[in-house]
Amino acid sequence: MFEELKELICNYVEVDADKITPDSKFIDDLGFNSFDFMSFLGEVEDKYGIHVNEEEILDLSTVQDAVDYIGKLKG
Amino acid sequence: MKTLFELVSNAKSKFGDRVFVKEKAGDGVSEKTFGQFCDDAYRVSAFLKDKFGKTIHTATIGPTSYNYLVSHIGSMVGGNTGVPIDALLAPADIAELLDRADVEVLFYDKKFEAAVPVFKEKCPKIKEYVIMTDRSDGDTALGDILDKYRPETPAAPKESDLAAILFTSGTTGKAKGVMLSHGNFMDNVMCCDNESTPDDVLLTVLPIHHVYCFTCDILLSLRYGTCVCVNDSLMKVAQNLKLFAPTIILLVPMIVSTIYKQIKNVSKSMPLIPMKVIAKKAFGGRLKTMYSGGAYLNPELITAYEKMGIKIAQGYGMTECSPRITTGDLSRKSVGDVGTVVKGCEVRIVDGEITVKSPSVMQGYYKDEAETAKTIIDGWLYTGDLGYVDDQNRLFITGRKKNLIILSNGENVSPEELENKFEAASIAQELMVYSEDETLTLELFLGKELYKGKSDEKIHAEIKDKVKKINKELPSSKQIKRIRIRDVEFEKTTSRKIKRTQPVQGEVI
Repeated sequence: MFEELKELICNYVEVDADKITPDSKFIDDLGFNSFDFMSFLGEVEDKYGIHVNEEEILDLSTVQDAVDYIGKLKG
Repeated sequence: MKTLFELVSNAKSKFGDRVFVKEKAGDGVSEKTFGQFCDDAYRVSAFLKDKFGKTIHTATIGPTSYNYLVSHIGSMVGGNTGVPIDALLAPADIAELLDRADVEVLFYDKKFEAAVPVFKEKCPKIKEYVIMTDRSDGDTALGDILDKYRPETPAAPKESDLAAILFTSGTTGKAKGVMLSHGNFMDNVMCCDNESTPDDVLLTVLPIHHVYCFTCDILLSLRYGTCVCVNDSLMKVAQNLKLFAPTIILLVPMIVSTIYKQIKNVSKSMPLIPMKVIAKKAFGGRLKTMYSGGAYLNPELITAYEKMGIKIAQGYGMTECSPRITTGDLSRKSVGDVGTVVKGCEVRIVDGEITVKSPSVMQGYYKDEAETAKTIIDGWLYTGDLGYVDDQNRLFITGRKKNLIILSNGENVSPEELENKFEAASIAQELMVYSEDETLTLELFLGKELYKGKSDEKIHAEIKDKVKKINKELPSSKQIKRIRIRDVEFEKTTSRKIKRTQPVQGEVI
């Protein structure tokens, strides 16, 4: 899933996919703005057929956080 | 039309059976007509009249929805004062605003149920809580009000009556309560013509407590008979554009830029398909106009969208002016301006600062005469922005007054004006202009990409050359005299803007 997310991330920010690590922070390291991030999560919802709880968005700081969160929702 | 009551009743008589609001409901989309909306708004006003027998202050909190609009506008058409609250604030901060605005009834979305006990404890003036759902086991439900009350035509409010108190988010200090009358709103609603038609479809994306969204998405749609589709989540803008296929959309620059990036990236993976075609599909196929406001929009984006067949009109305004001061003119090319000054609005430049006189200018800040006196002087609203108007009535912004650098020779320099020039020359990833010991200094964080593979010597020479070129176009008082290069990024605010107050850093070159 990490590889899939990397591909999605590159649709929003201009970074080399090789430079994205599980510890990369969406906003501080990858340069997402808050709306990029919301749109990215919208795409994640569609791709994985899950519903992201808006109140939990602030807990998703790194790419690994997102991987874990999606994994949890998918059961 | 001089009041919101007239606006709503006129919408019913003119567009009665047409759809006013479309929103997602379960797996489908629910629709309400202008006629239903007007009746439901009258029912809310009848409920308030029945409960209180006088006009009061009501607050509404939640995301945009039909129920939100019925509650908020329903209160105002009956002569009450509506206070829209920022849904992202912490419950304790919301309680403070509710108390300060003397709110007696709170309409709240189900999402705020958990915060209601905090309000009940901290806001003794609130006598009635209304949950904006069909039915409820606890507080009064909006659905019950709409069932119980008849849509009686309310006693018409006066043009000068206070329609709303809107709290500005201001970066420092306490939020100020901007008081707007029915006349203020209606002047702003009527200050331009032929902006849309009953055949237009608008997607409302921005937060409803902002006056830009409220006036331009909602009130203008009531005037023109435009259908408003509710974007249910910021995560779903791309999907909702396809679902509702709007012809008009109002955005802020951040969203304009993200959508552009998305389209550009799709286009990269499908190089044979023209970007125009990809953009058309991404926007649902019918979008013709995009309005941008709230912050400065990079002119490059306007050009980029034009190439995709979408016109962006950039406007300028502020809550204190209901909000429009200028509006984008789609019939001409942008020349770096922020639109043409609207009808009935006078702009005068005082010591470089934009001041405005118009029937849209607020009544003042609620219970804050000192701040009001500082902001409105002899009937002129002082915007705090620096700029000028050209001979074609187009407004240009050059910076914020509070950021102005005043040199000891009395010369005033706007750092943003200089920063825009250096940014356009792609001199560094991040930069800031300030005065250091009376010397205009440009501090740069180069980033990794711009000067990849070049020696320090070469980089410094290139930078000096770029600065020299820009300096040549500037009067000597505005020329950069010192350049610093820092190793780490600038410190930023939570909204990712560079903080102006941070220690000087970096080696002088």
